[in-house]
Amino acid sequence: MNLPNFFLADLPPEAILQPSMIREACQCLRRNRRQYLLERSTADVIAALDEVARRWLDPGDRFRRLALDGGPRATGFAPATLVSGLETFFGQLTAEHLQALVRQDLGHLRRLDALSASGDEASARHAALAWGPELLGHVTAGQLPVPALMSMVLGLLVRSAQFVKCASGASLIPRLFGHSLYALEPKLAACLEIAEWRGGHHELEGALFDEADCLTATGSDEALAAIRQRLPPRVRFLGYGHRVSFGYVTNAAMTGAQEHRVAARAAADVVAWNQLGCLSPHVIYIERGPQACAEGFAELLAGELAKREETEPRGSVSVETAAVIASRRAFYEVRAANLRETRHWFSPAGTHWTVIYEADPLFQASCLHRFVYVKDVPDLDTALQGAEAVRGRVSTVGLAATDEEAAPLAVRLARWGVTRVCPLGRMQSPPLGWRHDGRPSLGDLVTWTDWEQ
Amino acid sequence: MTNCSSFSNYVARLHQFMREATQGFAPGSVPRPGWLPALEGTPLAEPARSGAGDIPPAARFGARPAGRPVSRPDTFDLTFGLLARELFALQFAHNAPYRQFCEARGITPRTGADWTALPAVPTAAFKDQELTSLGPGERTAVFYSSGTTEHRHSRHFHCAESLAVYEASLWPWFAAHLLAGIEPGERIPGRDPLGLGLSLCCLTPPPTRAPHSSLAHMFEVVRRNLAQPASAFVGQADPTGTWTLDLEAVVEVFQRAEADRQPLLVLGTAFSFVHLLDALEGRSKKFRLAGESRVMETGGYKGRARVIPKPELHAAIARQLGVRPTHIVCEYGMCELSSQAYDTAPGAPQRQHPARVLRFPPWARVQVISPDTQREVAEGETGLIRVCDLANVHSIMAIQTEDLGIRRGAGFELIGRAALTEPRGCSLLGRELCH
Repeated sequence: MNLPNFFLADLPPEAILQPSMIREACQCLRRNRRQYLLERSTADVIAALDEVARRWLDPGDRFRRLALDGGPRATGFAPATLVSGLETFFGQLTAEHLQALVRQDLGHLRRLDALSASGDEASARHAALAWGPELLGHVTAGQLPVPALMSMVLGLLVRSAQFVKCASGASLIPRLFGHSLYALEPKLAACLEIAEWRGGHHELEGALFDEADCLTATGSDEALAAIRQRLPPRVRFLGYGHRVSFGYVTNAAMTGAQEHRVAARAAADVVAWNQLGCLSPHVIYIERGPQACAEGFAELLAGELAKREETEPRGSVSVETAAVIASRRAFYEVRAANLRETRHWFSPAGTHWTVIYEADPLFQASCLHRFVYVKDVPDLDTALQGAEAVRGRVSTVGLAATDEEAAPLAVRLARWGVTRVCPLGRMQSPPLGWRHDGRPSLGDLVTWTDWEQ
Repeated sequence: MTNCSSFSNYVARLHQFMREATQGFAPGSVPRPGWLPALEGTPLAEPARSGAGDIPPAARFGARPAGRPVSRPDTFDLTFGLLARELFALQFAHNAPYRQFCEARGITPRTGADWTALPAVPTAAFKDQELTSLGPGERTAVFYSSGTTEHRHSRHFHCAESLAVYEASLWPWFAAHLLAGIEPGERIPGRDPLGLGLSLCCLTPPPTRAPHSSLAHMFEVVRRNLAQPASAFVGQADPTGTWTLDLEAVVEVFQRAEADRQPLLVLGTAFSFVHLLDALEGRSKKFRLAGESRVMETGGYKGRARVIPKPELHAAIARQLGVRPTHIVCEYGMCELSSQAYDTAPGAPQRQHPARVLRFPPWARVQVISPDTQREVAEGETGLIRVCDLANVHSIMAIQTEDLGIRRGAGFELIGRAALTEPRGCSLLGRELCH
């Protein structure tokens, strides 16, 4: 892949990063922001992002092709998984959605451009201006490219210079996104730096932490706590810890031929990004009743996963990952041979997909890579009791329910602490305005100036 | 007839096999010079040529002095196969959870599968099911896997007969690796029955304080066979079951051995060595143990100490205890097994391969299984370690561990626990979420 050296992540692998390089890059980013970004309007930035996304949706686009050529080796995702995940993301990245996001989080489309007022504010003779941090740092974790891309989008909207530190081996797609922006708007891309190093490199990280005005990070609770401890007090920190998600299917949602459709939607959620995101379901709870049989549903889900494997194969995994899946499967095989309340369905060869049915409502964290539990519960409250151990760490619940059932269930889930409820089948495709872990993504980045006239 | 007595004929034949394979190398005898070098110096297996589980005869039966074959190697293969078949039939008949598992896999004693094709039980299943052929009234001891208190433990139930097998299995292979290379001197019954002049230091609690630890039991067998005092145990167990070291006792044992120039045999887990080395470093204390002193180090950390890579740990042991690097031996064992693997012996010739290759005794055979295909991997490839242990009489003979290893001839190089190598792979069969 021949890409010009725009970013630190473009340097050849033998190049060794030094803390001074990070500091210099940050100073350069600040300069470029003053020159090229600060005076750009929201409409301008949105138009650029809309155009970049439009290009990524074009199968002939150079950067998209590079992502699909190099992505499978770099990220471990099969081309079909990458296509589907990237198309879902870029499909959301439209001018309309971006405008809605600004309005939702900041109350006015021009809030970042000038002192502006919504209706209520205007009648109270108030106005306000919001602005983003001068230098925004991102520390991303894991192989999923979308969170890093979304971070960059948000940073551009608030006109911050940005330094994106990717997990080792995870910079390819963020880099290609950066290059695609470069091709369209080199000045905007000049306010972006992308680098990659193995987490725990204290000197490099220290240089970034010292320079940043605001830092976002994803990772385990321990990793986030460690970062928080090392940040200077003036730096605003937005940490996104690991979250888990599950599905809930009501008995009424399974009437007639719906069962197959619901199973296909559950399979879509398991297949998306190979279940590796916080929004992917570990468990699908099935409400017991005359229509619904969790065991039968598990079998249907297994059939759907087998079908999806043909069109959207999971791809290979490391021997360590395969070993975890194989060990977990073997455990359930022995249990299933001895307990009627446990059953299992495995992909016939390899570890490509696994469905475990258990009557026990206890939430089980999956070992992911398309390994899902189906559990039988009399009602939502029982499912929530089973998930008590992960309460406060549940991101998304994918719901399959009738229209009448959905609203009260969503309220119950909200009261329990779930931060997102969506239809089953759309768990891994949140809208652009999604509040990450229940927080306004754009709103958390900005600082306000209120003007009382 | 009790379940236990059904196994008696098998157990008698197994004891005979173990005696033949090790030439009666039992308490009361010492490792013959050259016993292990014969094993170390042999070329590794040709995996493509030999069938699954085939082991080159010389590597398998190092116990045989050159030129004096006790028995033809194919006879040993045959015996192993026959014993495995017999034990499988017994376990199938007397161990209901295992029988159900085998039936689900479509393998029964009638299908006539050889030992490489028998259903292997994952170690995690020992936390979930009572995988034993012993009835509740027949169980006289139970070993638990180590781990933090929130985790459920694996359980390996024993009776007097199976404990005797366990002890008969552990001793000769332990002795061959940890007692090798010492020229025996005068034997003193009750004090130094083997005439090795070694004193012993076990970094675990004594079995009375850790009654469910197979490791403490193993060390007790060693202590008894070497006729060492009970004070050889310098570990303690607090009321929560956490193991600690009685540092004063350790220092005293080490100082005495150092002053008397008496070789010391130190046995412990990796985490106990880390605790010890940290404590000694804190006191700026170093030892220079006598030249023939040796160390056996085993097991992972399980969150009980800071994790140090093995080469670093061994270098620190050599530096701070003054033990020769060639005299540090790794052991691989677990409560679900009755036999142990070792990687070297003091005085063995330099390893041909830089890796530490662990080998089980002739009555336990290892396969490295691809987690993807469930077939044995090729030489040099990585997979999950599976052990067929004929000494696992009343539990399960075929054990599937969660440890990853590289296939190296008749042995394997240990990489580590699969669940720990997976960043988001939570060992969540219990009730906890790691993230």
